[in-house]
Amino acid sequence: MSILKMEHIKKSFDGKEVLKDISLSVNEGEVVSIIGPSGSGKSTLLRCATFLERADDGSISYVGKDVVKSEGGISVYPGKKEIRQAQLNFGLVFQNFNLFPHFSVMKNIADAPISNQKRDKEEVYAEVRELLKKVGLEDKENAYPCELSGGQQQRVAIARALALNPKILFFDEPTSALDPEITAGILRVMKELADENMTMLVVTHEIDFAKAVSDRVIFMDDGMVVEEGSPEEVIDNPKNQRTKDFLKKLSL
Amino acid sequence: MTQKFKRIAKVIMLMAAVVVSVCLFTPGNVNAAEKFIVGFDASFPPYGSVDENGEYVGFDLDLAQEVCDRNGWTLVKQPIDWNTKDSELNAGNISCIWNGFTMNGREDKYTWSTPYIDNSQVVIVNADSDINKLTDLKGKRVVVQADSSALAALKGDDATENNKKLASSMKEIIEVADYNTAFMNLESGVADAVCMDIGVASYKINSSDGKFKMLDEKISSEEYGIGFKKGNTKLRDEVQKTLFAMLEDGTYDKIANDWGLSESTCLSEEDTKYIDGGAVPTADPSKIKKTDNKNTSDNGSVKKVVKAKKTSVLNIVKQLSRGMAATLGIFVFTLIFSMPLGLLLTAVRMSKIKILEWLAKIYISIMRGTPLMLQLLVVFYGPHYLLGIKVPYSYRFYAVIIGFSLNYAAYFAEIFRSGIQSIPVGQREAATVLGYSRTGTFFKIIFPQMVKRIMPPVTNEVITLVKDTSLAFALAYTEMFTVAQQITASQASIMPLFVAGLFYYIFNALVAYIMEFIEKKLDYYR
Repeated sequence: MSILKMEHIKKSFDGKEVLKDISLSVNEGEVVSIIGPSGSGKSTLLRCATFLERADDGSISYVGKDVVKSEGGISVYPGKKEIRQAQLNFGLVFQNFNLFPHFSVMKNIADAPISNQKRDKEEVYAEVRELLKKVGLEDKENAYPCELSGGQQQRVAIARALALNPKILFFDEPTSALDPEITAGILRVMKELADENMTMLVVTHEIDFAKAVSDRVIFMDDGMVVEEGSPEEVIDNPKNQRTKDFLKKLSL
Repeated sequence: MTQKFKRIAKVIMLMAAVVVSVCLFTPGNVNAAEKFIVGFDASFPPYGSVDENGEYVGFDLDLAQEVCDRNGWTLVKQPIDWNTKDSELNAGNISCIWNGFTMNGREDKYTWSTPYIDNSQVVIVNADSDINKLTDLKGKRVVVQADSSALAALKGDDATENNKKLASSMKEIIEVADYNTAFMNLESGVADAVCMDIGVASYKINSSDGKFKMLDEKISSEEYGIGFKKGNTKLRDEVQKTLFAMLEDGTYDKIANDWGLSESTCLSEEDTKYIDGGAVPTADPSKIKKTDNKNTSDNGSVKKVVKAKKTSVLNIVKQLSRGMAATLGIFVFTLIFSMPLGLLLTAVRMSKIKILEWLAKIYISIMRGTPLMLQLLVVFYGPHYLLGIKVPYSYRFYAVIIGFSLNYAAYFAEIFRSGIQSIPVGQREAATVLGYSRTGTFFKIIFPQMVKRIMPPVTNEVITLVKDTSLAFALAYTEMFTVAQQITASQASIMPLFVAGLFYYIFNALVAYIMEFIEKKLDYYR
């Protein structure tokens, strides 16, 4: 079953076409990586999927339910309430973590489930402690984000996204603000999630990670999907010249 | 958290409701008949000043008290800013101007009582000055009170040719707001002479231990009367009748003697030149009597010399404390109202609806681009002059709070906006994808971070507010600095001004300390 389905997405900024008719679907339990040079539109695609950006044209559906429809060449968005409902389907991990600096680690993770999903406090706290253990921060629940390292903050951000029990987790270049030795820790957490059959869509520069964890890799350039397939097909044996050039630049 | 904000919002709305309803329902009009509000300049002894206990006293006020007692009215002593006396009178905020108020040159502007004091304009110079006659004033700097009789006698339309010549021979005529400033100018050597009413001048000379002297030549001779709003003959007649009754039974002369003004009295039932149509309302027509201008000795031959009583610093502090409460009131209420109003204004200013955004921009631009004092005047006099509404007596205080709040809201709005815009957009995005509503995002995520970021500029603004409270005097609201100026006038010493400065400093040190404390409290995160 497809958790996310985006079809014929188009998006321009000030007349410059950033996404040129992109379609993408992610099935339950699948890990999909999007790679490509900067400015290729990867992040914009993710921002359209998470409703942080409005597509000009194209449709978006979550778990079989149409959210954004394409009518007469433009995307038609539903009301705020429906958007918020659709947002409950996913979690998003940002490049810059975007933790709330004035909330403790516990509150960062627990506040949304408690206030927005109206879940029982004690139940949420117990679950958050489990999540913190999972990301290796069980002793940090009372710390504030400024007391944590970048890697620790990103782990809290992942736990925060997971606490809403999303059906799919989006990652927007989750390691590019981190030092290499810290990156490994984050990738390990993500791999564990993949092993638990979490559905994930990852925009990344970590080719090795994409190769090791993904079920499918999408190479994007200039607002289009250039190549799509298994990691072996796209990363080890790219057919398109642009894919080859990109991978070559990375390996040098 | 949101609940806490809701509670705070409720409290604020409740307070606003209370203030508005008090504004609307204060029965100012109902007992206006029994209230007799005398507008006077509290730095104009012996006619009106503040004594060592902080009470308003003076010859005119004693007369007014007696008039009220005899008519069963309640006397309200309202010190006013001399520059706004006409606005106060026309707006109905005061019943009359009774304060050594010169009639000459203003005959047609008011409905007058008969003259009751003969007053001349004289020149005061430092005791060691080489100015001994009027012609010595050539090329000198002379200080007068703004809109005073001395100024009118020198430069007014009805000034005599001699006086006009004299005025043009002077190097400069400096207009100041009150006589404190005038004498500070003289003493410090910035000015060479002060032109003023003889009554006040004698008081000053008697109080100054030989620091000043009066020239023998006078600039003009003139008379004092009580000024009522043009056309208000009804009230004038009642006051006039009472004054004549007081003249007949000797009360008037007794009060004059108490204030060392025996030589200047000129109240007479035969003097009708200023009464419209010449008809004098008499107390009892069968007993018309004329006072002797120069001699009131039937009241006892002891001529009193009235001079300023020096009081201790402790006493000054005690008196200033009275004004301090008013200052504190302006400060607290302005903060309570301007901050939420500023937040609302920020919301409008950042609105996606262009018209709202522009309205907020225009509002902020006007509030920041015009003087606060002018805005206060508009708020206070606007209802009368623009809308024709008669405001209750108590409106004075509300006008101060409204004026300050409207002004400070504009500044706070811009500070809030800068705080909100400095928060990374990622915070809002993270909140959105975590399912926070718009209000939830603002009050839980954005607002608390904004508060921390804006503490330094808000501290600046709050400290400025403490000092700005002194502008409330533009509406004759007697706060601390006004009290300081009044004591300075009656004591012929500038000590109270220094003490007031110290008060402001301590107040602000406290404000700065509290703000620093809050900043530290918010320092648990970065």
